[in-house]
Amino acid sequence: MKKALLIIILFIGTQRFAHAQDFDKSVTTEDLELKKYAKDTAAHAVFLDEFGNSRIDVVSDDHVRLIFNYHARIKIFDAKGLESGTITIPIHHSADNETAEEVDEIVGTTYYRDDDGLMRSAPLDIKKVYTVKDYKYRSTVKFALPALRPGCVVDFKYRLMSPYLDGFRSWDFQDEIPKIHSKYEVHIPAFWNFNASLRGGIKLSNTSSELERECFSSHGAKCDCSHIVYEMKDIPAFIGEDYMTSPKNFIAAIYFEEVEWTNPYTSVKTVVAKTWKDIDHLLKSDENFGSQFKRKELMKDRITPVITGKTDELEKAKAIYTYLQKWYKWNNYIGIYSFEGIKKAFDSHSGSIGDINISLAAALRAADLNVELVVLSTRENGNINMLYPVISDFNYVIAKVNIGEKSYLLDATDPLLSFGLLPLDCLNDKGRVISLDKPSYWIELSGLQKESSTRALDLTLLDNGKIKGTIINYYSGYDAYKKRKAIKKFNSVDEYVESQDEKFPKLKILKSSITNLDSLELPLSETFEVEIDAFDNLNHNRLVFNPFLWEKITTNPFKLAERDYPVDWGMASDSRLVLSMHLPAGYTIESPPQSVAFKMPGNGGMYASSFEEGGNSFTFSNIIKFTKPIYTSEEYPYLKELYNKIILTEKADMVFKKK
Amino acid sequence: MKAFIIMLSLLVSGIGAKAQENYATSLIPKELLSYASAVVRNEEVNIEVKDLDNTFYHVKKAITVLNKNGVREASIVLEDDKTNILKGVKGLIYNEFGKPIGKFSESDFEKTDYVNGFSLFEDTKIKHYTPTISEYPYTVTYEYTTKSKQSLFFDAWEPNSSTGVAVEKSTFVFSCKPDFNIRYKELNMPSKVVTGTNKDKENTYTWQLTNLKAIKSEPYSPNDNKYLSCVKIAPEKFNYLGVSGSFDNWNQMGKWVYDKLLVSRGGLPSSTADRMKQLTEGITDPKLKAKKIYEYMQDKTHYISVQVGIGGFQPFLASDVDQQNYGDCKALVNYTQALLKTVNIDSYYCLVKADAPKQSPLVDFASMDQFNHIILCLPFKNDTTFLECTSQKIPFGFLGDFTDDRLVLACTPQGGKLLHTTQYKPQNNLQQCKANFAINADGTLSGDMVTNFKGLQYDNRSFLAEEAPKEQVKMLQRIYAINNLEIDKYDFKLDKSVQPMLTETIKLNARDYGSNNNGKIDFLVNATNRKTNTPHEVRNRHYDLYINSGFIDEDEVTYTLPKDYHVDLRPANITINKPFGSFSMSTAVIGDQLIYKRKLQITDGTYSKEMYQEFVDFYQSVSETDNTNVTLVKNN
Repeated sequence: MKKALLIIILFIGTQRFAHAQDFDKSVTTEDLELKKYAKDTAAHAVFLDEFGNSRIDVVSDDHVRLIFNYHARIKIFDAKGLESGTITIPIHHSADNETAEEVDEIVGTTYYRDDDGLMRSAPLDIKKVYTVKDYKYRSTVKFALPALRPGCVVDFKYRLMSPYLDGFRSWDFQDEIPKIHSKYEVHIPAFWNFNASLRGGIKLSNTSSELERECFSSHGAKCDCSHIVYEMKDIPAFIGEDYMTSPKNFIAAIYFEEVEWTNPYTSVKTVVAKTWKDIDHLLKSDENFGSQFKRKELMKDRITPVITGKTDELEKAKAIYTYLQKWYKWNNYIGIYSFEGIKKAFDSHSGSIGDINISLAAALRAADLNVELVVLSTRENGNINMLYPVISDFNYVIAKVNIGEKSYLLDATDPLLSFGLLPLDCLNDKGRVISLDKPSYWIELSGLQKESSTRALDLTLLDNGKIKGTIINYYSGYDAYKKRKAIKKFNSVDEYVESQDEKFPKLKILKSSITNLDSLELPLSETFEVEIDAFDNLNHNRLVFNPFLWEKITTNPFKLAERDYPVDWGMASDSRLVLSMHLPAGYTIESPPQSVAFKMPGNGGMYASSFEEGGNSFTFSNIIKFTKPIYTSEEYPYLKELYNKIILTEKADMVFKKK
Repeated sequence: MKAFIIMLSLLVSGIGAKAQENYATSLIPKELLSYASAVVRNEEVNIEVKDLDNTFYHVKKAITVLNKNGVREASIVLEDDKTNILKGVKGLIYNEFGKPIGKFSESDFEKTDYVNGFSLFEDTKIKHYTPTISEYPYTVTYEYTTKSKQSLFFDAWEPNSSTGVAVEKSTFVFSCKPDFNIRYKELNMPSKVVTGTNKDKENTYTWQLTNLKAIKSEPYSPNDNKYLSCVKIAPEKFNYLGVSGSFDNWNQMGKWVYDKLLVSRGGLPSSTADRMKQLTEGITDPKLKAKKIYEYMQDKTHYISVQVGIGGFQPFLASDVDQQNYGDCKALVNYTQALLKTVNIDSYYCLVKADAPKQSPLVDFASMDQFNHIILCLPFKNDTTFLECTSQKIPFGFLGDFTDDRLVLACTPQGGKLLHTTQYKPQNNLQQCKANFAINADGTLSGDMVTNFKGLQYDNRSFLAEEAPKEQVKMLQRIYAINNLEIDKYDFKLDKSVQPMLTETIKLNARDYGSNNNGKIDFLVNATNRKTNTPHEVRNRHYDLYINSGFIDEDEVTYTLPKDYHVDLRPANITINKPFGSFSMSTAVIGDQLIYKRKLQITDGTYSKEMYQEFVDFYQSVSETDNTNVTLVKNN
């Protein structure tokens, strides 16, 4: 594996401290002359240098803030690189804007050669800096550097002040364009304690630390600071790949997680997260998490009518799940906490992931079921740091109900999920189970569920060249969910069937039926009685026929010769085809399809087909199976080759010959 | 007197009772339910012009959401900023049976900036709210009042513009003082305007429509102004953020734009003017001069959009662009115009509705709201050239399908003129491919291919030329659906003339292109240009068949066959001729070679809706032919 997903704890180096500071060398004629970046000649732009400095300190209005200073210098090579001259800085704030991050001290300059070849500089006009409010909790500060032209160098700085001290600023060493040098310097007063971790497969070129004496002082409270510098050199551009999970898993970056902090004025120490025990305690007592989970009395009245008369635990759980699934509408916010409490969410029929699933868990508890909560990180949010507890890694919560020997993971935010099925975005890495009465523990989420489909065709070739028969598609597991979602995109089942009919001009759907569209727990099936204009007539001696008439794989989804990152589908899959075909009298099969079987090493996947002939009819069946949710870059060539074999096999036509 | 008061109050309460509408879903006429995800039960749009800088929009709407797909139709997005001020909004929510289940007011709305994909910043701010109801169907009723400080343009009334929405009733009333004259344009309206006066002695213009079925989107349908009901209103006199004016026709509107928004925006530093003279020294042909300056502008600038106040219509100063090197379409056109002026080349600033499908302004109805882009026109004698100024790469005089073949309004000192932009006919939009491939006994395909892309098809590859080599290879592997495609060598040659041409040369190989089973090799006859997506059928089509742009593809591939194999099966030659296009494919075996020829022509235009099924069948035949195998068998 070239670049494994890597998270390592950083040990503070014992090297002598090299005095670190912002780069202040001026832009040189060499910088402007540079035609290409030697280490990546295809780069449209390159960071010549980048520097960041974060510290926790007292600011002028006597508040303690996290102060982040940023400075970058970028060389732009061509017209495509010009987009590196437009800078966007996301900032966070509360809904009422009372606490907010602020950006100031913006300075930007473009260095370029004018039409006469003279070196010139153009300053950024501060009036041309814009702040745009994107949504309730986020805005973006934006500016475009002036006088950009291919060949120019842009240099800009800004300061960002944040009231959110618990999230010490992380640093991405890697970007979409390469960097020659990137340096991050942090000053952390001893009142705060953070763990640092490095992600991605690139090594630091240098790290050093020193103690700064009495660097923090406020109203008589004083402490020393850790002053640490992290550096990387020659950082390649990050290039994403298809079927990859979050780029955050792979981009070289340093993250900080709060462990504990001491109030400088009261000396009261707050342990944020040292051990899972701390986190368990914290979450169980959190008013937006554990306290909501415990509100079973609140839910009791509401669910009593739902479970009246039900004695079986599973039946009760299913009834409550279905009821809440229909009750709630997800408001598109995600997070592990109940924002406004489950009562308000319940009354308004609307809530975040936390609101809905914590109220589901509380309701299940109210029915005296054994329930736990599972916090997890979605595929988009990236993997969990397994080395030590990091509560901020989690961004999603689901309920886990244990009935007898079995347990079911439940997400009530999507009305089309069947009991126990999770959305794809949740099938990532591990989840941490939080119980009210025992210590938390991990469960595996990747590969929890499967998708499978079967297509059964029973067709007869008629004397007039048409093919008539039945096509039945069965979907189960996640495939059933996906299909239901696709059908519900239409206003009615009739409209869906019409669209299927319209998709294949040579195929006419004479009759159709869809079963279990709303019975989410049963496999979905659709039956189409069809007529296909296969051949204009039967006045040919040889008829060419391809058994993959409904759907045929013709191109390989994998094109790269090799991959840096794993293929992550989130779940195993299984699809089958069974075709029974009846020919008119007088026809024989000249070139039957081959029966083949291909397997990936270690039973990772397979493709097999078989053919049986009997009189005037034949049965052809095949199966494609991918047994793993994730394929590493070592397994990738086999995966690609399996697709190649599928395509080759599906390409071969059959020939029916007149006797 | 007493009796009178009683009578009046009875009357009022009577009206009140009647106004209490019943929004039970069961009352929706059955015929409005097909293809509908939402039904507008009643809508009343009232635009009232009090003064040139004081217009009120009073809107009342009741809409029933039938299922999840209709949710966005009930979401409310209102402008609230310096130009348009929201004066209040409130609403109620009813369940399926018409029983009220909730209400909302302005405090439930979230205020954000208007964010789109292309602007760095716009000063438009919005308030938005979407009712969250988990059980369908439900009905949302709301009303709001917005005050607009301009009278240059008014929102057009388009009662059923979104697909999947049926309309029970929609009413539009435009009212204004008697001295405020308007022009109006009714498009696809079954009934005409009703004029009158209201209690404030204002002139009123009223339109109403009832029982409009939901529109289902149909592929290859004409521009929606060909079939959607719509009323547009334009003022005779107006004020826009402090700039006043009046116009009746395109000429006057173009004059106003020129006089009020463009004149004296073109000043440039003398150093820049000198540079332009220097740059064009020795060139006598004004077109070549213009080309030189255009390319200078392309190298120097890039597109960044910032829209503030009048800046939504008025370009940045040319001198600003000269300094900042960026601007939006208005700014870059104005700048290019100013640069050309320094060498005495006249040009016109042209308003256009960009993007495909092509759309022209209404010839008999001048208004500012029919455009979204600006291009530049060089009115040389017998040779009118149009320039797209927002791209660093587009060839001089080439428009692509973004602004081709449509009317634009040129704003000249003498007034506005409607001009027609360059038309690219099918025979100009050529993709010609010649390939020499060998098929090996193990199924490997290898060889060379050269493809020329001309006219609109130039853009099939122009975007690729800018990419880094690694990306180019990746994209070529996607473009050519050849399994296991390996690109050994490739090259793009760009001829950036007014009739641009791009030449792509590729040396390739692909193992397992053919499958070899027991001495029988199957391979797809069309390796390079297969049609896989065919237009889907439409039952009960409503609209004509419309093809926005035509083209011709020609492919000629020579396959050298493996030794000791002969052709057993190959696709039958085919020729199809239709009004909208033609297709021919033939194969010939000469010695150890199979020569494959394919020609596909599509002719742009509007054809009757009955023709659509033939169009589907046509493409189906093309696709089937393209995806046919050749079978080779080993000689005995």
